[in-house]
Amino acid sequence: MKPVIEARGLGVEFYRSRRRKRSLREMVFKGHTGAPIDTFWALKDVSFDVRPGEAVGIVGANGGGKSTLLKMIAGVLIPDEGRVTVRGGVAPLIELTGGFLGELTARDNVYLAAGLHGLRKRDIDERYDEIVDFAGPQVAAAMDMPFRHFSSGMQVRLAFALITTLDEPIVLVDEVLAVGDRAFRERCYVRMENMLSGGRTLFLVSHSEGDLRRFAERGLYLSSGSLIADGPIDEVISQYNADADAAS
Amino acid sequence: MTVNIARQTRGLYRRRQLLWTLVRRDLHVRYASSPIGYLWTIIDPLAMAAIYFVVFTVIFKARSVGYQPYVLFIVIGVLAWQWFQLSVTETARALIAEARLVRSTNMPRELWVVRVVLAKGIEFVLSLPVLAGFAIYFVAVGQGHVNSKLVWFPVGLVLQFLLQVGLGLLLAPITVLFTDTSRIVRIALRMGFYATPIIYGVHAAPESLRTILAFNPMSGVLEAYRAGFFPAELNHRAIVLSAIVSGVLLLVGSYVFSRLEPAVLKEI
Repeated sequence: MKPVIEARGLGVEFYRSRRRKRSLREMVFKGHTGAPIDTFWALKDVSFDVRPGEAVGIVGANGGGKSTLLKMIAGVLIPDEGRVTVRGGVAPLIELTGGFLGELTARDNVYLAAGLHGLRKRDIDERYDEIVDFAGPQVAAAMDMPFRHFSSGMQVRLAFALITTLDEPIVLVDEVLAVGDRAFRERCYVRMENMLSGGRTLFLVSHSEGDLRRFAERGLYLSSGSLIADGPIDEVISQYNADADAAS
Repeated sequence: MTVNIARQTRGLYRRRQLLWTLVRRDLHVRYASSPIGYLWTIIDPLAMAAIYFVVFTVIFKARSVGYQPYVLFIVIGVLAWQWFQLSVTETARALIAEARLVRSTNMPRELWVVRVVLAKGIEFVLSLPVLAGFAIYFVAVGQGHVNSKLVWFPVGLVLQFLLQVGLGLLLAPITVLFTDTSRIVRIALRMGFYATPIIYGVHAAPESLRTILAFNPMSGVLEAYRAGFFPAELNHRAIVLSAIVSGVLLLVGSYVFSRLEPAVLKEI
């Protein structure tokens, strides 16, 4: 079977201190000529394959390139080197409420955000009740209120419910495996487990060892943009912990 | 360059449903947030038209600068310019304004530009009954005139749409990378207003300026809009030139957009 995610020699270069965003004044007065551009590679030469149904956890220290890698798989960042091929749609649990607008009612927002993720109106009609049910009675009672009047907890609950009902075969998670209060968190975990047993491919970035061990079978260890280890999650976590202890 | 534009058009076509969702959202937000939402679409240009009418016919007594009836002449110009101006200002900020969505959803990013031009275009079309009202009034009192060259009106619409998509594709990524772009755009638009035959006709400009005006793509667009309402002969050259300039801008915009896209995504 063909891998669902195929990364080959992936690299992306960033400008330190946002040099690109210079103002016209700077360009005119300091000149645009060959000021040494300070860059760093957030990812360099990263290659791996992910087979359908695999659950992969990414570990590494802050700034290691974990979120950058996730964004590239989600297609919201374009690599400078190499390529990443993703076969199938992606449900990104990255910036959960990114597609929601404060002025519109929660109901309008569900239709809008689901549309942004590629659902047709008919599909949304079918899933609407399920989404609202999952978000909880508190949210269900307020679906005709403007979204900005929701508490932040209610906002992420609705967004989480929406994105996890997308049928995309690949699920990308950036630290938002569980949101909301304790009761809701448990339902998030159950839903993630159901998605996994339904054959989805999971790509999870987390600093929580518990979450990683619970959901991922395979680990990728990123450090300063390079892929250091790729193996069973327990081994990768031990290696990361050993490195982190050695450094401190 | 043409490869880019073919790829971009295919991508947009595939996500056309989403495009409509976004356009509807824009109109919804615009008209739902104010009880007289629709009136704002026409009050603004009508107020401007009234000002120009008073200044140029009562104070300067320069009735010969446009065609007669002059009110109809400026109403067409001001309405079309409003679409142009709003569309250019907002497309320039299209990627920045939706940074959260651009960051979190994977879709053809040209969509953010086209969506603004379309939403503003629908507002323009919704303001056309005002134009029709003026035309009917002037025909009724015997000062107006409507002829078969009205078929040029949709040509103007299409030209103006393509022109604004081209400009938007060019400006949106540049604004992300160079923060001062939107200020420059604002000044350029203010100058552009007077460099466009809105309150005067090309025929009223001195010979030396007419060539320059002809290269302003909005000249041809306005020419197409006005053709059906005034007996003057249609200036084909202006329309052809406008089509060429718009086409070139569209190609350049599409090329620049796809070249700057990776840098924009890192920055946003």
